[in-house]
Amino acid sequence: MKPMRIGILSFAHLHAESYAALLKTMSDVEVIGIADDNAARGRYFADQYRVPLFADTHDLLAQRPDAVIVTSENAYHLPLVTAAAQAGAHVLCEKPLATTPADARALIQACHAAGVQLMTAYPMRFSTPAVEVKTMLMSGRLGKVIGVNATNQGALPEFHQAENLDFLGRGWFVDAALAGGGAVTDHAVHLADLLRWLLVSEVTEVYAATNRVLHQDRVTVETGGLLLLTFADGTFASIDCSWSKPAYYPTWGGLTMEIVGEQSLATMDAFKQTMTVYSGRTGRGALAYWGSDANAAMLREFVDAARANRPPAVTGEDGLRAVEIVAAAYESAATGQPVRVG
Amino acid sequence: MLRVGIIGTGTMGNTHAEGWAHTPATLSGFYSLDADRAQTLADQFGGRAYATLDALLNDVDVVDICAPTDRHHDLILAAAAAGKAIVCEKPLARTYAQARAAVEACEAAGVPLLVAHVVRFFPQYAHAHAVVSRGDIGRVAVVRLTRCSFQPQLGEGNWFLDPARSGGMMLDLMIHDFDYARWVAGEVVSVYARGVRATTPAAATDYALAILTHADGAISNIEGGWAYPPPLFRTALEIAGDDGLIEQPAEGSAPLAFHFKQTAGGAAPSVGLPLSPLAESPYTTQIRHFYEVLVNGAPSRVTARDGLAAVRIALAAIQSAQSGRAVRIEEINS
Repeated sequence: MKPMRIGILSFAHLHAESYAALLKTMSDVEVIGIADDNAARGRYFADQYRVPLFADTHDLLAQRPDAVIVTSENAYHLPLVTAAAQAGAHVLCEKPLATTPADARALIQACHAAGVQLMTAYPMRFSTPAVEVKTMLMSGRLGKVIGVNATNQGALPEFHQAENLDFLGRGWFVDAALAGGGAVTDHAVHLADLLRWLLVSEVTEVYAATNRVLHQDRVTVETGGLLLLTFADGTFASIDCSWSKPAYYPTWGGLTMEIVGEQSLATMDAFKQTMTVYSGRTGRGALAYWGSDANAAMLREFVDAARANRPPAVTGEDGLRAVEIVAAAYESAATGQPVRVG
Repeated sequence: MLRVGIIGTGTMGNTHAEGWAHTPATLSGFYSLDADRAQTLADQFGGRAYATLDALLNDVDVVDICAPTDRHHDLILAAAAAGKAIVCEKPLARTYAQARAAVEACEAAGVPLLVAHVVRFFPQYAHAHAVVSRGDIGRVAVVRLTRCSFQPQLGEGNWFLDPARSGGMMLDLMIHDFDYARWVAGEVVSVYARGVRATTPAAATDYALAILTHADGAISNIEGGWAYPPPLFRTALEIAGDDGLIEQPAEGSAPLAFHFKQTAGGAAPSVGLPLSPLAESPYTTQIRHFYEVLVNGAPSRVTARDGLAAVRIALAAIQSAQSGRAVRIEEINS
């Protein structure tokens, strides 16, 4: 089987690192190279993953890749995805799909017009605990779901980056112009998408309360956020998307759900599959994750869908729905009242 | 010697009697619409079964009201008129107007009104509040509180399930965490809530989520439910500050687990109470605190105004769930 030739457009998003490492392990994939508007960052990762570095996006696309992964700043998804689609490449785009619903629609349209497949990178759909919850819900054993209390909290994104690697330029997560916003943009989309998928229902109304108490001297975007979503079938769900985990928290954060059904309670802690390792090298305990890698399953689906030229399990429209929910959340936070969606 | 009379002989009447038994106070007796039940408690804890409310009022220094919520207002007014100190089970009253009238009557009569928001006496909640008060996690940003169990199962005439009497799950159960959120994060200015009974009053289960916005900018996510399969009762607490984080997950701190090869055959209790083995029941800690307040003038951990504010938040949540709009706290006046 001919390998899928895949390029990576930008390492602005730290997820590019895990995608690159995983793609290198896939026997039916060839990473043709990376392009990055930050030359130092591009060189750093080209060396790390031993792949070619292209001077710019168009040089990479001139190699006619079968597919690309777009992991730039959120605001640059639209131009990069559009360029890739016009070059005939299938696209896996990092979440959130765009910073505005208008951009997300334009990006979907560009892929549609070019006849390429577009997948939004929602790895949680491939998380094995989440898949188990989906299976249980579909079996009917939980009964009708009444409500869901969910969290996707994390540390301030700046903390994800080692201090001596400032040149990687990951500060954009807290820049509203490049990211689209703060904690709501960064974290609410995972659960918004997961809930739509699990409940098989669309969000009709969004209420949100946000604040900037955490890291108030450090950033200008919202760092605390609580959303309450109402779905077409009457189910309601809250999302805590706050950057409320301290820098010294044992993990980056986590994703949890309490699903209350008419006759049941189901709880999920998606990153609970950890052990505690006490090492004399550090003189302290640390959590080590041993669960399955959702990113690997997501990339498998992307490659398979691209090869078959079929719509992937998570589409551009799924990405748009979450962007619409985020936009409604910001409007609600500004007005203090729930906002209709769709 | 402080003489205490308990009105209402359900789960809380029994629990409060147990608490008073751990103080130097004299338990004078019980009054209940269920005379047999009052006699049973008198036999168990000592004191008399009063035939009338007046008989109790004439015989005590402190009236401890554990009757159903819709009776609180009238009982508080009667006790205040008789010049008695009052302990009242939460919620303070069924409506905001009743709660406000009760507070004003006690202030006018110069009698203490202590509202039994027992969560403030649970050691993990008290400890978390102390940590926040010391500034150990900085300024409070995001609060998450969960309190879910199964529907109270009291058979015929189950007043808990009658919104006209109890106010429903949000006023009866979630009020614990509305009060606690206000205790750790300050006054509440706006409430948005979704609840299944708001839209489906006959639903066999009750579950709600509420988001509170506090005056100082903190936000709170409150989960409450009478929706779990019995005998499950879960509570959880999380407070994120700008200089730290407190986590007390639902599955986080149980020191005991018992596993049986087959069900021991025990039915679930009629009303779920969250218990962890402790040297002293938090309900007893609360009553002992109230004793110190009444006898030695110690400042009360929970005031009548706290009880009033908690009722207002709960009613705002109910109104929001019914209207689908966020409710400003000052909109609740009746």
